[in-house]
Amino acid sequence: MSAHAARSIDDYLRQLRTALEGQDPALIQDALYDAEEYLRAEVAAHPEKSEADVLELIASTYGVPEEVAAAYRDTEAKVKAALKTPVPAAAAGASGWKRFFGVYLDPRAYTSVFYMLLALATGILYFTIVVTGLSLSFGFAILIIGIPFFLAFIGITRVIALGEGRLLEAVTGERMPRRPVHPGPPAGWLKRIGEMLTDVRTWTTLLYMLLMLPLGIVYFTLTVTGLAIGLAFTAAPFLVLARWLGWDADATVFSDDVHIGGFALSEHSMISALILGILGVLIVTLLMHAARGIGRGHAHLAKALLVVPGA
Amino acid sequence: MDDSQARKFQKDLNAGLVALVLLAVLDRSPEDLYGYEIAKRLQRVNQGEALFKEGTIYPVLRTLAAGGLLTSRVVPSYSGPPRRYYRITDEGRSLLAQWSGIWRQTRDFVDRFIEGTDS
Repeated sequence: MSAHAARSIDDYLRQLRTALEGQDPALIQDALYDAEEYLRAEVAAHPEKSEADVLELIASTYGVPEEVAAAYRDTEAKVKAALKTPVPAAAAGASGWKRFFGVYLDPRAYTSVFYMLLALATGILYFTIVVTGLSLSFGFAILIIGIPFFLAFIGITRVIALGEGRLLEAVTGERMPRRPVHPGPPAGWLKRIGEMLTDVRTWTTLLYMLLMLPLGIVYFTLTVTGLAIGLAFTAAPFLVLARWLGWDADATVFSDDVHIGGFALSEHSMISALILGILGVLIVTLLMHAARGIGRGHAHLAKALLVVPGA
Repeated sequence: MDDSQARKFQKDLNAGLVALVLLAVLDRSPEDLYGYEIAKRLQRVNQGEALFKEGTIYPVLRTLAAGGLLTSRVVPSYSGPPRRYYRITDEGRSLLAQWSGIWRQTRDFVDRFIEGTDS
């Protein structure tokens, strides 16, 4: 039993948050969202009673915060175990080579590469939205449309934050919120704006969206460069082989001699081409490892900036 | 006698039954339902001491949806956060039929001993 029964919805949500302390922040956000849906519906269903009177009965219907928290913990543990992508067998084995090339069996490595390529596009989009939104908000601040514009702008950033979280969970498997943060009961516009301005998450979300442009550029460049060099090197021995077998690259596909690794294709011996090929495979494999690591790191960054810390 | 033992037994029983009941409620309902509505329907049937707290059905709903047994959509609401409406899928229906069979079998089996009709 909690120290004292909750007297208001905010009070109850605070107790539930305390009961969920230490859990995944995304799970906390979901649990608070569900509770708020129920509690507000319950209060709305009894207009003749005060919020405190309704809350008094909550312990026997919805449950005390500790009970509800336990239900989420149990269910989450079961679901997590069931949905967890099995670790590829190669990763578990001790052999270094197996572990090195085992990355090709990990679906997260591919999705991370995809995310890094996409990051440039989303980065540009986010950056543009934030810069446009902020400058227009300042500009409109002296006009009557300033306030609704600012509210809409922050609302859009929250939707984007949720979408980015869902994308990252799909890509990296890091648990992210499945529900938006509820803005609370209907309140005056000035009060809402005050809440938004004092909410740390508003600013960290904007920071994340700004950061996405430089990060997106780095991710994209790294991926495209790595893939281009790695795949070209990997192709070298095959091209030399094809040339031996009588394929005239100069005349058919390319207008000039093919250059790989600083040499024209015609100057490559099979040995040097093979060395390039091995190097190429190493580069691509390293890129896959890097992508997986970056994806994981980026998910943690996103979680720190986009999700309310569970405190 | 011991209240906490009774609660523990009830909780163990509920582990699988809540999911079965939720599937059945959604199967019977002609329209989509959201969490609060489902909770209230259960409460209406279950006069007196509640078998389970309404707060515990939300995580189960989410699990069922994640498993493809329910689909859901979000509808804005004036009284609070947007509501998530649930509907049972075909997969959920076939599972419900299977689970209902298992439940009847289990109930009859247990009853046979408790009612003493077996001896």
